Amino acid sequence: MHSNLADRPNAIRPDGIEKVTGKLNYLTDLVFPHMLYGKVLRSAYPHAIIHKINTEKAESLPGVEAVITHKDVPGLNGFGLIFPDQPVLCENRVRYIGDAIAAVAAVSADIAEEALQLIEVEYEALPPIIDPEEAMKPECIHLHPEGNILHHAHFKLGNSNEAFHTCSVIIEEMYELPRQMHAYMETEGGVVVPEENGCFTVYAGTQHGFKDRFQLARIMDIEEEKIRVISSPMGGSFGGKDELNIQPYGILLAQKTGCPVKLHNSRTESINAGLKRHPMKIVMKSGTDRNGRLIAHQTKIIADTGAYATLGPAVLDFAIEHAAGPYLIPHIDTEGWSVFTNNGVAGEFRGFGGNQITFALEAQMDRLADILSLDPVMFRKINMREAEDLGPMGHRIAPTNGAHDVLIEVEKLLHQKKSEDKHEKDPWIRKGTGIAIAMHGGGLGYGRLDDAGGRISLSKEGKIEVSFGFEECGQGLLSVIENLTTEEFACTKNDIKIVIGDTDAVPVSGSSTASRGTSMVWHSLKKLKRPFQDKVLHNAASLLNIDPSCLTFGKGGIWEKGTLGGPSLTYQDLIRQSEEDFSFTTKFPFPVTPDPVVGGHFLYAFGGVVVEVEADLLTGKIKVTSLEHVISAGPVVSPQGYRGQIEGGGVMSLGYALMEEAKMIDGVYGFTNFDRYLIPGIADVPFETNVYAIEDLYDGDQYGPRGVGEIGTISIAPAIASAVHDCLGIWIRKLPITQEDILAEIERKGLVEWM
Amino acid sequence: MDVTKGTTENTVLFNQKRKMSLNINVNGIQYHMLVNPTEKVIDLLRDRLLLFGTKESCGVGRCGACTILLEGQTVNSCLLMAYQVNGKSITTIEGVSGEGLDEVQEAFLKEGAFQCGYCTSGMIMAVRNLLESNFAPTEEEIKEALAGNICRCTGYGGIIRAVQSLATTE
Repeated sequence: MHSNLADRPNAIRPDGIEKVTGKLNYLTDLVFPHMLYGKVLRSAYPHAIIHKINTEKAESLPGVEAVITHKDVPGLNGFGLIFPDQPVLCENRVRYIGDAIAAVAAVSADIAEEALQLIEVEYEALPPIIDPEEAMKPECIHLHPEGNILHHAHFKLGNSNEAFHTCSVIIEEMYELPRQMHAYMETEGGVVVPEENGCFTVYAGTQHGFKDRFQLARIMDIEEEKIRVISSPMGGSFGGKDELNIQPYGILLAQKTGCPVKLHNSRTESINAGLKRHPMKIVMKSGTDRNGRLIAHQTKIIADTGAYATLGPAVLDFAIEHAAGPYLIPHIDTEGWSVFTNNGVAGEFRGFGGNQITFALEAQMDRLADILSLDPVMFRKINMREAEDLGPMGHRIAPTNGAHDVLIEVEKLLHQKKSEDKHEKDPWIRKGTGIAIAMHGGGLGYGRLDDAGGRISLSKEGKIEVSFGFEECGQGLLSVIENLTTEEFACTKNDIKIVIGDTDAVPVSGSSTASRGTSMVWHSLKKLKRPFQDKVLHNAASLLNIDPSCLTFGKGGIWEKGTLGGPSLTYQDLIRQSEEDFSFTTKFPFPVTPDPVVGGHFLYAFGGVVVEVEADLLTGKIKVTSLEHVISAGPVVSPQGYRGQIEGGGVMSLGYALMEEAKMIDGVYGFTNFDRYLIPGIADVPFETNVYAIEDLYDGDQYGPRGVGEIGTISIAPAIASAVHDCLGIWIRKLPITQEDILAEIERKGLVEWM
Repeated sequence: MDVTKGTTENTVLFNQKRKMSLNINVNGIQYHMLVNPTEKVIDLLRDRLLLFGTKESCGVGRCGACTILLEGQTVNSCLLMAYQVNGKSITTIEGVSGEGLDEVQEAFLKEGAFQCGYCTSGMIMAVRNLLESNFAPTEEEIKEALAGNICRCTGYGGIIRAVQSLATTE
């Protein structure tokens, strides 16, 4: 069964009215009495030795309240979600253009900015290491004590070297994927407020408040309990605000000045300092027998992770895991290196290595199908996993027919498209159709701390209060919580209160990343419902002098079953009359595969795309004219949110395929703002898109809805590349697909007579 | 600016030392204040009038998050300076709804035309401006009118549906 989400009723988001009226206070909108403004001095070079830092002139500028350098970091001068290898404030070396050297707090942002100009840093510029393959050579200068290879990972199944000898068809290609910028509309920022007794409240967007708290406590050398992180709402993140950004400078300056300090990156500061998607070079060699059955699959990945680790190792592991995607291949050999360079910092970004590897994988499938003269859908069917097959690293996963179901829907949509009129309006316009599918693991994976959980209680105001340590980045988590809670308790949204994004008020839920939020809210409520319900109904029953089995939750309070007049006891009366504490907390690990494969997932979502493009032979421009998504991720919790995630993720990847590249020249970004880093605007997207959701889970699946934050971003780019081949006969191996490259190919192939 | 000496004085910083008397009408309220003539209008709105609904995202007039109406026309408030709005009237997102919500706001809620909400204020201003002069915009006209407003979350699907839901067919 599948449904077009266009046909589902829309509910208004809990944060909707505040957002459309402009009344929502983002954390960068906050103002406190005596608040100072902070600015961070970033490196002038992508790679240099620092000989001297002199802050005297800056300190004497009127209006400057504090200038800090590495000397002012009381605890560990480093941060990083896996290894704390990024200096908070650099002491003797800078490794990228965003490295922080000093920070200033002043009475105005202008003065803070001016003070930065007065800080004298003596650098000795070093040649930047900009090519990861150069960086891997033993003779290359080391960026970190352990060398330039952050992470090396290798997965082997069978013996692919031998198996290639038995293949009838082998395709080998090198794919190049660009550095992409998250481009959240709200740049990093917030306010840090010093409180009594050496405590701090950090108001700054992040995707894991408790992790920020942990890292900040380590930097400040204070107990975690002295830091409160308020991390929601946010104007977008997409992975980019998962790592610390301005928080360390805020807390250090707040400590030094005793005043609240606000930092809010300009777009240029955000570009220079912020994370990006990993550029990857992927060499993939795949072979089939004469019937098109995949036999051997070899992949080599080199990921440019930039100056510091952040989640670089995990991104590479994810790419390794998904190298064979939903296809059954007996001989697999996947090896990858995540390599330090002086090119910015690459890290967590929606799709998490899946976008890069799936682009290569799906391109291989198309090329093989073409050589074998097989229909691309048929070729995929031949090699498709079945519900109870093992996962892509030979590990056990939750049985699922998702890949198959998605492919069948994609096939139907493709036939509809192909039967439509293909009449070209102008002789220089060619139309093409393309498809691709993807498989994407949810959660952090095997061997990683991935605690989830939540809390439910009856609040003093008489509301069912549900608390999660998650953040609302815009993805619609509040709707998910509201919908699931009101459904579980047959109540209305007025009966519930949602608490998120405040480490002093929420339980540990893990990160708002990895497509895990929806799934973990659902799991938590399933675990919390029974004990909470039993206790509440039991207490209500004794107050009403009635048997608990006659009572049920409902709108406004506890109802007697079978009655229609209204609740027998409102939630307000219950909490007023009862002495009980109705709070229950749950904590459990995100489900992972039982097999010890590093980063191996257990719950997967599947997506597919049918895309139509128009290629302009005169300009080389590729325009996407229609986009249809098919997603299999279990039941739809919030139709509008689901559709929004898939459509929005799709357009983000349309940008990845056709326009976006955060180009660096000798370690320096080749752009400073949205005027030269172009992301899709309304004129770049098709007006007709549909999102079809396959909601069925495999028989006996107890794991409920999967998150859909990432799956919509994976298959677009390979589908567009496929459509370009369909209309121009050009195989794309490099993103973004630029007009220049297409024009060169058009000319080479002589597709326009007069050229 | 002294070209002969090869130096150019930063006029923005220079003007910070001077003040002008500014009269503006914002959302129907008349304000009178002493400001630097080169102060950006978005800063006037946010820092002086505490109207935080208008957002700055790029600061170079590319993203449209700071879109306001100046004398009824959409402008990027990050590119406007105080002296350019003297004696004029401005509408921000805070001035859009009265008692209830404006129909554009309603349509945005219903169609899911936003996620993070950071572009939403500017987007709503641009949509209102479009529909005021064009009751039934075509696809090309919608693209033209909203080309200056970037949204990174929705992929524009919900925004397009919101605009189309308001377009009258008569």
